[in-house]
Amino acid sequence: MSKPPSSRGAGARERLQHWLPKLVLSPSFVLVLFFVYGFILWTSYISFSDSGMLPDYTWAGTRQWSRLWSSWTWGIALHNIWVFGLLYIVSCTLLGLLLAILLDQRIRAEGTLRTIYLYPMALSFIVTGTAWQWFLNPGLGLERTMHSLGWESFSFNWLIDANMAIYTVVIAAVWQATGFIMAMFLAGLRGIDGEMIKAAQIDGAPTWKIYLRIVIPQLRPVFLSAIVVLAHLAIKSFDLIVAMTGGGPGNATAVPATFMYSYAFSRNEMGIAAASAVFMLAVIAALIIPYLYSELREPRS
Amino acid sequence: MSFLHIHNIHKRFGETHVLKGIDIAIEKGDFLVLVGPSGCGKSTLLNMIAGLDDISEGELRLDGERINDLHPSRRDIAMVFQSYALYPSMTVAGNIGFGLEMRKVPKAERRAAVQRAAELLQIENLLDRKPGQLSGGQRQRVAMGRALVREPQLFLFDEPLSNLDAKLRVDMRTEIKQLHQRLGTTIVYVTHDQIEAMTLATRIAVMRGGELQQLGTPQAVYDDPNNLFVAGFMGSPSMNLVTARIERLGGELVARLTAGSDEVVLPVVRDRAALEAWCDREVIVGLRPEAITDPSSANRQDGVIHEAELAVDLVEPTGADLYVVTQLGGRSINARMRPGSTLEPGQRARFAFDVSRMVAFEPDSEHRIRNPETVAPSEPAVVTSIS
Repeated sequence: MSKPPSSRGAGARERLQHWLPKLVLSPSFVLVLFFVYGFILWTSYISFSDSGMLPDYTWAGTRQWSRLWSSWTWGIALHNIWVFGLLYIVSCTLLGLLLAILLDQRIRAEGTLRTIYLYPMALSFIVTGTAWQWFLNPGLGLERTMHSLGWESFSFNWLIDANMAIYTVVIAAVWQATGFIMAMFLAGLRGIDGEMIKAAQIDGAPTWKIYLRIVIPQLRPVFLSAIVVLAHLAIKSFDLIVAMTGGGPGNATAVPATFMYSYAFSRNEMGIAAASAVFMLAVIAALIIPYLYSELREPRS
Repeated sequence: MSFLHIHNIHKRFGETHVLKGIDIAIEKGDFLVLVGPSGCGKSTLLNMIAGLDDISEGELRLDGERINDLHPSRRDIAMVFQSYALYPSMTVAGNIGFGLEMRKVPKAERRAAVQRAAELLQIENLLDRKPGQLSGGQRQRVAMGRALVREPQLFLFDEPLSNLDAKLRVDMRTEIKQLHQRLGTTIVYVTHDQIEAMTLATRIAVMRGGELQQLGTPQAVYDDPNNLFVAGFMGSPSMNLVTARIERLGGELVARLTAGSDEVVLPVVRDRAALEAWCDREVIVGLRPEAITDPSSANRQDGVIHEAELAVDLVEPTGADLYVVTQLGGRSINARMRPGSTLEPGQRARFAFDVSRMVAFEPDSEHRIRNPETVAPSEPAVVTSIS
């Protein structure tokens, strides 16, 4: 105790100061506890229940989980999220790094270019998805434009090709996120000591070697952040796919999120949907928790 | 032909004229220190020697070869940076050996060279560490090792000691000097610290505002400054610079200075011929603190001593010396006295002026007033030929 309580009034004020922050925070705490963590538990329970169109609290053991894993569509969804996630993360990281390096060469219109590259991130996924759907739609967009310009043999119909449709989603998603990743790398590049580059020049390293041996190894923390950001964006990529392909053609672009949505709300299989949702949560948690742990616990040297 | 020849070098960044025709020439084995206040262009000049900045105009020759347009890696130079610029992802050995690796030196040879450099700098035990695990002084050594290992013709140092604490800075300064003596390398060293410049250099180039003020040996720059700026910049505590009136008194040329309500009249001994022209006009005279002493410690053998009684304003003991502040020529000046003298502020004491060390400057142009035969020519290239 630094100060002895001098009077009754001061004691009350101190008590108030002690309780006020807790009091102010408690409503949101209760809301989050109930609506986020409460419903996580509720969903987890539903995944072990007999629920169909409506919640049904009869315990069904792992029946919904085995139905989920034997589902053909779920297999496609998992395959798609792998393809999509991998391509998305790798392309965004490499393209973002490349753009950042090019933009870091003290070029004139850097501010303008940076903004242009960053703008897609300001759009919602729905807008991006719709725009790219129009653009890649053979009857409306690129293909038709090329035809009307006289290039009759031009063909780009990946959007309606079941084998290729997932790649159109990758293109749109990469287009949207690359600028943001570029900004992250650019910030990392700006943090690198210019004298180090000069030292490497005097040491006789060609530019590509300076980047490969000296600059990029120093961007390791940026790589880590970029990959975590992209990975969770990839797993959450629901709206983009809904807007662009609706999971189609057929189930060709289904991902776990669209799978969960369609089983919960159109196929009346709430139990399977809950199981898939819990699975997605577990995957994201497996990605995010180690990252947060290393970010928050690691003493900065 | 001198070893490193900087000939009429200009640097312009757009409209700004950063370097306005620098001429410096040094011999092999010289330790040239570029010194000046920040913004004087000394680092730009160093970067131009390194090839990291383009030369707008002029010529740069190393060992007779014109190197203006050579890539930094082909100039046979090595540079130690202010931030050390170590590669954080590589070990100390990797850092030191990187230049050799880029020059495709075979691995075994490279390892031997790294080992030699590490032994020279006493960092063999650090070779497997990363720069992040090193202290400031150790990083400094690694940075020097990286420069040494390639055995270049010319070493460039860009304020290498400014990130170290005061104690370490003095130690490293000594070590750099020892290294220079042992290896006999040619060094160009940039600093804003005039003590570093004095202790390390065999040649000092004092710069200001993109212009060379003076080039010469440390002693010459210290005792025989070209202008008011050099006089004030070099030396700590700095030279006492006060206004005086040159007069003729009984056939003798004297400098008359006010001293509080009193006056001090000092005979003019140095540059007398040149100062004749300034008779009955005001000049600025400069006297180093060590040229104003107590009568008992005055150097009567080499100097010409003139004594005067002045009021003591302030006494500052430093341990080794006792600096006494008094009024002269309307300003506070420093006198260096024997430590342990019992002077008190307010007291009057006798001061001994070594007038043979007094220098005079034109008050407007701030140029030195110097006898013609001892005038250091404005072309520094000729100054170096004195050596």
